[in-house]
Amino acid sequence: MRIKARTLEALYALLLLLPFLFSLGVFFLYAFLRAVYFSFTDYNLFSPPRWVGLANYWALFQEPSFLLALKHTLLYSLVVTSLQTFFALILAIALNRPLRGITFFRTVYYLPSVISTAAASLLLLWLFQRTGLVNQALSLLFSHLPHLAGFALLFLGLQGALVLWERRRGRRTPFLDPGLAAVSLLGAFLGTSAFQAWGLLQAREVRVDIPWLPTRASFLGLPYPLWAIVLMNTYTTIPTFMVLFLAGLKGIPRTLYEAAALDGATPWIMFSRITVPLLRPVLFLVITLGLIGTLQLFDQVLFVGGSGGAPLESTITLAYYVYGNVFPSGATPRVGLASAAALVLAGLTLVIVLLQRRFGVGERGWS
Amino acid sequence: MGAKEAVRRRWAALGWAYGLLLAFGVFFVAPFVMGFLASLKTDPLEWPFRLAFSQVSPKNWAAAWRLGQAGSGDPWLGGMRPGRQVALEVVYFVPRGVEPTLLAEIPRRKPGAGMGAVFETPYASDHVTLEGPIPLERRPAHQEEGEIIRYRLVLRYQGEGPFLERVPLDLEAPRGMVLVEATLDPTRFERRGRVASWDNVTPGLLGYVFHNYVRAFRETRSLETGESLFLRWTLNSFFLAFVKVVTTLVFASMAGYALARLRFPGRQALFLFMLFSMMVPGQVTFISNYLVLRDGIFGLSKLFGVETLLNTYTGLILSGLVGASAVFIMKQFFESIPREVEEAALIDGATPLQTLFRIVLPMSTPALGALAILTFQGTWNEFFWPFIVLTSPREIYTLPIGLLSFRNAYGQVGDWGLILAGGFFSMIPVLILFAVFQRYFVEGVNVGAVKE
Repeated sequence: MRIKARTLEALYALLLLLPFLFSLGVFFLYAFLRAVYFSFTDYNLFSPPRWVGLANYWALFQEPSFLLALKHTLLYSLVVTSLQTFFALILAIALNRPLRGITFFRTVYYLPSVISTAAASLLLLWLFQRTGLVNQALSLLFSHLPHLAGFALLFLGLQGALVLWERRRGRRTPFLDPGLAAVSLLGAFLGTSAFQAWGLLQAREVRVDIPWLPTRASFLGLPYPLWAIVLMNTYTTIPTFMVLFLAGLKGIPRTLYEAAALDGATPWIMFSRITVPLLRPVLFLVITLGLIGTLQLFDQVLFVGGSGGAPLESTITLAYYVYGNVFPSGATPRVGLASAAALVLAGLTLVIVLLQRRFGVGERGWS
Repeated sequence: MGAKEAVRRRWAALGWAYGLLLAFGVFFVAPFVMGFLASLKTDPLEWPFRLAFSQVSPKNWAAAWRLGQAGSGDPWLGGMRPGRQVALEVVYFVPRGVEPTLLAEIPRRKPGAGMGAVFETPYASDHVTLEGPIPLERRPAHQEEGEIIRYRLVLRYQGEGPFLERVPLDLEAPRGMVLVEATLDPTRFERRGRVASWDNVTPGLLGYVFHNYVRAFRETRSLETGESLFLRWTLNSFFLAFVKVVTTLVFASMAGYALARLRFPGRQALFLFMLFSMMVPGQVTFISNYLVLRDGIFGLSKLFGVETLLNTYTGLILSGLVGASAVFIMKQFFESIPREVEEAALIDGATPLQTLFRIVLPMSTPALGALAILTFQGTWNEFFWPFIVLTSPREIYTLPIGLLSFRNAYGQVGDWGLILAGGFFSMIPVLILFAVFQRYFVEGVNVGAVKE
């Protein structure tokens, strides 16, 4: 009887799993194995595949456009992941306090990450046109540099004076005392406005006219159009990771900070000695998710390229290289080569995940 | 340190915190708000970017409503029907020494340049007659040497004829004459400001404020049937998202329950393999999946008389019945339910199927809700796989693919108003969903990723 019950349970499991097994088997396992097989063949979707061994991988690393795509993908991935991790962490720490109405702000911050890559790409295209908002904002910034400099100097001067005055009166006021800083901020604002009114500070005539998209120019090894995608993607992914960090920060006992404060630790010490080590699992998770997500950059490339957009060699990524070789316009598909490139992409991803499992999970500083 | 000072400092710190939150909020929302404003403008790329423009002026809203009402009886979308007439007043400043000769014309102008331009639409100039401009009032100008003249124009649609979606108007004045005021602000000025041009003098309120959105619907039409492609794509996306939510909820609960509760050989291996499948990028599997659909899933579809599953929703749905991440979420959730709940049912002799559908699932509405929302959002926004499967005809596109063809059709001519309008329109369902269920979105990220 017992064995029979076991068999019955397994049969029920099979029944429940059937649709999932169909999906996983046909559209993942079979597909994955076939991709591996294709990568060793010469195949053009129509005539039968012909075995060529490792020739595709060899050819891949000889081909300039693949190497370019690889370079773009790796650089892009590194830049976006560092930027988004850094800013998400800063934001999470700023938000991790019991403030009234914090949920509202979290909701607002989360907004950019719910929209589709298609819609975000259209917004990107508009933002980075020659007379788009990005160039306009940069122009505004550069033409008001004197004001900014004046404002900063005034703020620092006022703050310094106020703190010195307080210390003269025998108080141990830290330099960034929030009350005094608010006074200095107001003073600096009024001062700058006054200078502007008296004509001591004048806006310069600056017009930033960067052609972000239809260009082959590059900066730090990454073409301008990819920088535009970097900015847009960082902006739309920060909120998601911020939420992960917030969940992680909740798990850090407050008593640790209180104890550190009693020992006279500065905020920086608390950040680097408590927050970062205890947040390590989440930090690794965020970095891994960031790297995996950015390695597969495709949609934006298609939108930013296209008619009247960026040239292909300024935007090509690994994922696009794969797609472009399977469905080339007006040429024979090179499926073998594309499969090999896709497996290189998968290999990169798996290496990152394994590194995360090796170093990231299970290391908690306090336990 | 005095207690009073500590209190003061705490308040100041609170002020800084809120200031910072507000600044971040502006940073995250500003591009969207600015983009949305730009999508209302005639020229979204104007330099400098103005926050006060014709489409946000209440005076124009009132005029657009009234003119739409007069032209067709529809104050929202406007247009012009036979037997109707609309009147427009314009005020010009004429400097001394300039002969006030104002020429009015209903131009033969085609709407747009992209997909809709191939359609033959009736021209307003063939049906509508123009009366005027008639000078109504002349008075000397206050500030400068010259006079102010108020003109009246009447557009009449007499006799029988088709419904006109738009009635354009051009007013040409000699150099020096300046348009000071108009019932409805002109769409643009041409020829160094000498020609004031209206794209539509009977726009209706929506037709005026959201003219790019209305154009997105009207100008992208199917070549065969003439129906609005944009509307079609929206409905397609809704349909596919709905189907995917249903299949995902059902099949992910089934698989998740089996993995969480039932014992069977290879359970652990299956789970690990599932995790592995989540890490492999779609670029690896899409080639074979494309071929599988092309050949009708090993020829099985030929049994139903279907040669290929490419460019069909059947193919798209079958290839995306249930995702590994959805199964993962449901498995994690079921494992968090105490076993005792089900054991009573099992002792009573219920089968695992009955237990799942009668007892476990009714308790799982929070998880199912979160999964439904995440799946809807994911499918609504999905790009790569539908882009591979659905290539022709354009009627079967989903919204994101439609947006790409939109971008390619209008990007070259730089019709950014239309492109932005399409983008913002496609965001609406997800934004509504987000506004209502934002808790699920934010928590869903944690469910999917953080394992304690």
